[in-house]
Amino acid sequence: MTPTFTPLQNDAVLLPERLVDLLGLGEFGVAGEVVAAFLGAFLVANLMMAMTGVAGPWAKRKITAAFTDRIAVNRVGPFGLLIIVADAVRLLSKELIIPDGVDRPAWDLAPILIASTALLGFAVIPMGSGIHLADPEVGLVFVFAVASMTSVGLVMAGYASNNKYSFLGGMRAVAQNLAYEIPLIVVAVSVVIFAGTLQMSEIVAAQAEPLLVIAGVTIPAWYAFVNPFAFVLFVAANMMEIGRNPFDTPEAPTEIVAGYQTEYSSVYFVLVFLGEFLHIFLGGAIIATLFLGGPAGPVLPGIVWFLIKIWAVFLFTQWLRSALPRFRIDQLIEVGWKGLLVLSFANLILTAIIVGVIA
Amino acid sequence: MIGVLKSMATTMKHALDGNTFTVEYPDVEPEVSPRFRGVHKFSQERCIWCRQCENVCPNDTIQIVTDDMRNGEQYNLHIGQCVYCRLCEEVCPVDAILLTQNFEFLGDTKDDLVYNKEQLMNVPWYKDIDPLESREPDRSAWIGEGEGEVDYQ
Amino acid sequence: MSADEELVETTVGSDLDADGIAALLGEAVLDREEHLNAPGFVIRPDAVQEVLTKLRDEAGFDHLSCVTAQQYTDRYESIYHLTSYDDRQREVSVVVPTDPERPVSQSAEPVFRTADWHEREAYDLVGIEYEGHPDLRRILLPQTWQGHPLSLEYHQDKPQIVTLDAHKNPLEADHRGNSETMFLNIGPHHPATHGVLHLKAVLDGEQVADVEPDIGYLHRCEEQMCQAGTYRHQIMPYPDRWDYISAGLLNEWAYARAAEDLADLEVPEYAQVIRTMSAELCRIASHLLAMGTFALDVNGDFTAAFMYAITDRERVQDILEDLTGQRMMFNYFRLGGVAWDLPEPREEFFGKIRDFLDHLPGAAEEYHNLITRNEVFQLRCVDTGYLSPEVAKSYGCTGAVARASGIDYDLRRDDPYGYYDELDWEVITEDGCDNYARLLVRMREVEQSARIIEQCVDLLEDWPEDDREIQSNVPRTLKPDEDAEIYRAVEGAKGELGIYIRSDGTDKPARFKIRSPCFSNLQALPAIAEGEYIPDLIAALGSLDIVLGEVDR
Repeated sequence: MTPTFTPLQNDAVLLPERLVDLLGLGEFGVAGEVVAAFLGAFLVANLMMAMTGVAGPWAKRKITAAFTDRIAVNRVGPFGLLIIVADAVRLLSKELIIPDGVDRPAWDLAPILIASTALLGFAVIPMGSGIHLADPEVGLVFVFAVASMTSVGLVMAGYASNNKYSFLGGMRAVAQNLAYEIPLIVVAVSVVIFAGTLQMSEIVAAQAEPLLVIAGVTIPAWYAFVNPFAFVLFVAANMMEIGRNPFDTPEAPTEIVAGYQTEYSSVYFVLVFLGEFLHIFLGGAIIATLFLGGPAGPVLPGIVWFLIKIWAVFLFTQWLRSALPRFRIDQLIEVGWKGLLVLSFANLILTAIIVGVIA
Repeated sequence: MIGVLKSMATTMKHALDGNTFTVEYPDVEPEVSPRFRGVHKFSQERCIWCRQCENVCPNDTIQIVTDDMRNGEQYNLHIGQCVYCRLCEEVCPVDAILLTQNFEFLGDTKDDLVYNKEQLMNVPWYKDIDPLESREPDRSAWIGEGEGEVDYQ
Repeated sequence: MSADEELVETTVGSDLDADGIAALLGEAVLDREEHLNAPGFVIRPDAVQEVLTKLRDEAGFDHLSCVTAQQYTDRYESIYHLTSYDDRQREVSVVVPTDPERPVSQSAEPVFRTADWHEREAYDLVGIEYEGHPDLRRILLPQTWQGHPLSLEYHQDKPQIVTLDAHKNPLEADHRGNSETMFLNIGPHHPATHGVLHLKAVLDGEQVADVEPDIGYLHRCEEQMCQAGTYRHQIMPYPDRWDYISAGLLNEWAYARAAEDLADLEVPEYAQVIRTMSAELCRIASHLLAMGTFALDVNGDFTAAFMYAITDRERVQDILEDLTGQRMMFNYFRLGGVAWDLPEPREEFFGKIRDFLDHLPGAAEEYHNLITRNEVFQLRCVDTGYLSPEVAKSYGCTGAVARASGIDYDLRRDDPYGYYDELDWEVITEDGCDNYARLLVRMREVEQSARIIEQCVDLLEDWPEDDREIQSNVPRTLKPDEDAEIYRAVEGAKGELGIYIRSDGTDKPARFKIRSPCFSNLQALPAIAEGEYIPDLIAALGSLDIVLGEVDR
């Protein structure tokens, strides 16, 4: 085969491509594509950050309140929605307190790293309605790589803060990372075996096929239906990844104050906070893509279905938060290494056998 | 695993039943019991300046100044210091002091919380509840004071 | 109960009377005293350990309830209030006088671990020094404090001028060396310390190598304030503020009981029933909060269990507000009775209580579903924070903490007061000795309290209208006999809440000492938490259910 010029993206379904067409940037060549890519990234990032804006100051409070028989924010604006603005102004206008003896570049970079790595993951997620920034062949590997890079940010934050609670939180984050990351990826590999590809768009496409038809209703071959065992495992490992109950040990506010984020205030706190929520949404996006058919769904446009799915995951995290105790760090590591890892390999082997035998 | 699911079911049940327990305080005035002890109200025309309330007060909240004929001149009460124990009301032989249901008061400085006898007289009833009704003594002297107008007879 | 009686019989020396004890102690005894609650033995200051060891091992006095220190014009005195876990009504006071010029007596710490903090407090506030004490430092006041506030020479208005040097940062001793361990300050401001408590923890990785509670941040001179108030009225508002987490009436009862026995006051039966009912409501409120905050410690700060517990506590507080006029600072008990009869209309009030009692089993089921039956919760709490019965006894643990270590000890039954002995209820014990057992005891005690309240409501509903005497006739100025001394305790929300009062013939107590259950229970924290993980340390602290207002007083 003769080597040919490969454009940055070769498929017209991606968002930057569409923007190139829409805005007539094609005549600028690669430069136009770069501009369109930036524009697309800007749109997607803003969508995600807007969602965390809704989730953090408002939705989380409302959901927690519903679980605990309270009303929560209702003083500012309709349904208290303007608390988002009020909280943003409040948080951003606070003094940025820089403690004595923090390791400056690392301490400053950590919040940025935490927030940006989570955002980066959305680049390869197909969100439906043509919103898909990039579709590399190794999309799945990319998304796990950037998502786990957050742990580097947590360690930086924990170590650079010159605070023992932060330090403990950072150490716990690493230990936890090692415990969940392997099972998480091994479970994802079982999906890859089904789909036969690492490319996100292909994984979604593979799930569009009908699995069963019951009374005229077609059940699609979402991997959550095809392999519910893997789904449960993946959700559990994902809860560890996003650090929510019962696996919120790196923060564990009643034990180590706030873990790695103890010393952050003002804008940096907002970034850490943002990063955490983005991470929950990214976790939701990965679950939706791998197991819930991505943006697929009847009637409504793809992006709406996609958002519904990741908000459902968010709701689920808050539900667990209201009901479950957190594991102790040693128990968590046991769950990761002795439980999830073994089960995930069992799942992998089973999947391989089934796929190998059937296909 | 069953226990975990039961826990989750419990919280979800609360989330779905839609009941809330919170009181929207400034909008909705909370219910208080007839016996609730709030800010004091003082009736000068009932007071016989016997100083029992001043003596019984556990932390010197009440200050009474009389002239050399033992006629009352001042009756000051540091509401910021009060522990609402109701002993002053209890020892008062003539029901000249009464703890209303009113729990809303403020002051910018500590000094603002020192009430003299006029201020104490004008303390409003909370929700128009006159606590004396639940405390049963003769209440004729209190009529009409809720609006701050005092009938000196 | 028969099992208990057997136990009492088999306890060594439990049949000794005062003369028997005097014979046992032999020449260590200098003099005999008669306290209103117990015989008192004045002993030589250098024979404290010998006497206490004999009393513990040969006479069965295995519970050092309290150490009271005070200064007379001619001497200092430490009183060791001893009793027995098996038979609370056997009491003895060991009085140790010391020289006014050089107040030194032997420490009881090697015999009873609980004497450690009690003697430190005595040293701090009164100024008696204890020879052989492992760590005689100030405990409630800052280390730089000058003078001993409860001693007679103490000059209250003298400013506390402390040099900068004395105030140097205690952290300056650097912990960064080449040590394998890490020093961690947990508190005074920390989400899980339930108030202003400071735990000096030494960590080995995630495990607790050593932990030392540092208390005193909430010291409000409660004992001295009570000494400045009159028996009849002025003391009663203060007990509400010791254990301020809804346990007000239980605390008031502690004072009421001690003062009533001191001044020989009768309490009408009707008032006793009201007291019993309202005190048990307080216990429910207090235990609910203990459960809720424990869930907060173990589950994290978004747990629903905490809010549900607070909601139910709110219901109790509404009832108490109807009855007493306040939600937390009740000031409802009076010497010789209570301040008010039940609110009118009585039926409505009874209805409210019954509604709550009917609601309670369903709520308890929910709590069990949400907390105790959750496998993750069990994983966290079962077999963590182990406190063996022997250690618990040595530390003077009482209340739910002791009962969760299998010690069958409840003052409501063992030293009956109020109306408890007329009612049908059980003392809850668990043998787990762990965090889980301590929580379970509290949750089950709520059910027993509900049983007591139900019986009280039944009684009150049928009470004849012409016999509703809420207060006996108590003189307006109460002056108990001079030099009468009494130590009386009740079962407070957290354990044995004892009050020692010495009267000097005036209308104010000469010495007022509070034996706080939290103080003794918290002292056992290092024994519970050492070797555990940090989260278990936090859980153990939560399971002890301390209220700093009562620890520091």
